Amino acid sequence: MTTEKKKIRLKDISIHTEEPLLTVTADDLMPLPPPLDQREKKAPYSPLSKDQKKSYECSLDGVSALALPKPKSKEEEEKLVERFIKGLEKLLSQNDNWLFWQPLIQSLESCVRCQTCSDACPVYVSSGNQEIYRPTYKSEILRRIINKYIKKRRKILSKLTGDDIELNWPTVARLAELAYRCSLCRRCAQRCPLGSDNGLIGRELRKLFSQEMGIAPKELHDSGTIQQLRVGASTGISSAAFQGMVEFMEDEIEEKWGKRIKIPVDKEGADILLIHNSGEFMSWIENPVAFVIIFEASGLSWTLSSEIYGYEATNYGTWYDDVQFARIAIKQVEVARKLKVKKMVMAECGHAHKGLIVIADRILVDEMNFPSESFLPLLEDLILHDRLKLDPQKNNFPVTLHDPCNVVRLMGIVEPQRRILKKICPQFREMEPHGVENYCCGGGSGFAIMNSMNFKEWRENISSRMKLKQILETFNDVLDPGIRKYVCAPCSNCKGAIRDILSSNDLWEKHSIYYGGLVELVANAMVDMKKPFIDWEWH
Amino acid sequence: MGGVILFIFYGSILFFIIATALRVRRCVNAPIHLHWELYKGGSIYELTEWWTKTHSTSGKKFWFMILDILFLREFYYRNRRFWYPLYVFHIGLYLLILWHAWLFIRAVVGDIETVSIFGWIWGTFSTLLTFIGGIAILIMRMRDEELKVYYPPIHYLKWIFLLLTLVGGVYAVDVHFKSSMPALLKYVREQVTFSDFERKLHPAFGPALHILFASVWLVYLPFSHLFQLFFRYYHYLRWDDVPNIRGSEMERRIKEHLERPATWSALHIQSGKRWREIASELQQTSLTESK
Repeated sequence: MTTEKKKIRLKDISIHTEEPLLTVTADDLMPLPPPLDQREKKAPYSPLSKDQKKSYECSLDGVSALALPKPKSKEEEEKLVERFIKGLEKLLSQNDNWLFWQPLIQSLESCVRCQTCSDACPVYVSSGNQEIYRPTYKSEILRRIINKYIKKRRKILSKLTGDDIELNWPTVARLAELAYRCSLCRRCAQRCPLGSDNGLIGRELRKLFSQEMGIAPKELHDSGTIQQLRVGASTGISSAAFQGMVEFMEDEIEEKWGKRIKIPVDKEGADILLIHNSGEFMSWIENPVAFVIIFEASGLSWTLSSEIYGYEATNYGTWYDDVQFARIAIKQVEVARKLKVKKMVMAECGHAHKGLIVIADRILVDEMNFPSESFLPLLEDLILHDRLKLDPQKNNFPVTLHDPCNVVRLMGIVEPQRRILKKICPQFREMEPHGVENYCCGGGSGFAIMNSMNFKEWRENISSRMKLKQILETFNDVLDPGIRKYVCAPCSNCKGAIRDILSSNDLWEKHSIYYGGLVELVANAMVDMKKPFIDWEWH
Repeated sequence: MGGVILFIFYGSILFFIIATALRVRRCVNAPIHLHWELYKGGSIYELTEWWTKTHSTSGKKFWFMILDILFLREFYYRNRRFWYPLYVFHIGLYLLILWHAWLFIRAVVGDIETVSIFGWIWGTFSTLLTFIGGIAILIMRMRDEELKVYYPPIHYLKWIFLLLTLVGGVYAVDVHFKSSMPALLKYVREQVTFSDFERKLHPAFGPALHILFASVWLVYLPFSHLFQLFFRYYHYLRWDDVPNIRGSEMERRIKEHLERPATWSALHIQSGKRWREIASELQQTSLTESK
């Protein structure tokens, strides 16, 4: 028997309680289609241990993305609240926050509370419409806090305008966690009839916590941007280690293609500097290998870089910190300038596309304003102009495409990847919805690499649930394990999130649903490959 | 009392003009923000070497705006249930605004006595549509569990006041002026031509009440969502797909911003330095402060 949950109100954000404001249960979750509909119901995430609860903030939903330590005294709490208010003032100041002031103010002022955005949010829907995950929940709270503590509305007006939220430590701690329950896919912003961007409000909150209070997930900051600025890559790969990987790739190429080639590295004056998410070298080396084969077979003038910052496309600053974002973008461009290449091409990494090609566009001036583009139009040109000899029959298995939000909705690259897949995959089928209406993989905005305490479980069972549902629906007529199926995810973070949901639901083992990038399919279709490029070995 | 109403009415018009100018100025002078775009379909980034291609969105932007304002197209596609009352309300409101504009023009152009009955039908029909749409929206927002949580009390007061304004208009036209368009136009002419101050200082209850209501709306309008919609399209807010080109005006403005100091306080920021400096210097600090 299920008990009716208490409706959470806006002002509940500030209540002092030992228990979380909400715990999502198995009964709350959006149902999944076959074959997962018959599976035994399980809580979406485990409760934190007693010690964890004692040490870390988890009063929002019992999940800890930030591993935020509990303040040790009332004074410390008050000091943190003060710092939050200071940060909020800066967020709303044209001088301090010139980078996002205008869209932030527009988003705060234009919402008519019509809740049209709610159903667009995969987290809100997957969790069974939990109020705290509604896209407008954190925005409305922030709006009311601003009215009460920054605009300092008088008491009577405050009552009328509903600005009765108390800004105390529980409010600040819950807002910090809440900023990391939205994957910044901005599907809600796309849906909003008035252009209010709740995704941006979430990102600005993350920024306030990072830039003013030094609070950010360890995976994004300490072992993310800080590590990248220190050693060259967020994965920790050094330049020497990268060069070792290049040699390994040459061996792989010889084995699959039958040709021994020298991969161009640090080739000055090449047309193209290709930059990968360094996670590809660690987890999916076949992806950069496929790029090498395609580029070499097409006769392009191109190079990789072994220079510090030159072999890492990621820029986690995109998700939480403008300063770290700018620092990394500048370092990446400096490498390209030094190599005297004509342009930078982003490989299969969604946020690197949006970050360097679109967002950084208005930070980089003069000679730093360097041409950069996506690999997708380039790849499309090569394929549609027959620069590669391809046999689509080599890819004669069901293939579907996951659209990375950063590449599609947030950058407008929608058709090239489809034209490629239609040409090389006879059984290509779309997910529904797709294109700019796509759903996030659940790993966006850093979620794919954040594994603090029970956050990974939350991601797999709530944040990625909608993507899991879409994949199952797309392949519902070919679930037979005898038929191999391929989810094409041309983005490193998306690939990681999709790997995790396929793996934790045994979908490769029981139903042969595999995943990978786009270039792997292109390489697999090449007629002169010695061995099939896709080896269907789970990793 | 009549003097006060007179002052409020003309004062509210002045306020409307000044507040609108200030809002526009705030928007025009706002710092250029980073390229944070959303796309409804394919973009220039689908092309190789996109920076060598022509890039123009202004025509598309204008067309989107027209369709949005006339048909509330975004609501139509995104939230049909809400669109029905909203559209009835807005179409009524647009017609009512046009009717008022017509009243002001018709009052000073041509013979008032020969005015057609169509003028009265237009005004009444528009008022009725606005009223029906408005009341439907109000009921929906009061009854819908999902909607009512997020609306503060002042929101409902605003809608009630709007409905009262409409009732006040009907009272003025149909009770005070006895549905006579010539009488109404004569009154409007006096307002527009600033004549018959004696009557202005001792106004009748019906027109005075309506003028008072209208003045409140004039004060509110520059802060309304209608203005937000305007800014969204005209100041690179949503469909802001404009790349930064070397040597452009945009680049000049960005350079100015890069000279601003970064004031954020976290250790890794190196607060106090200029944006240009902190972004280009390799910082040696430090891990998240909470750890």
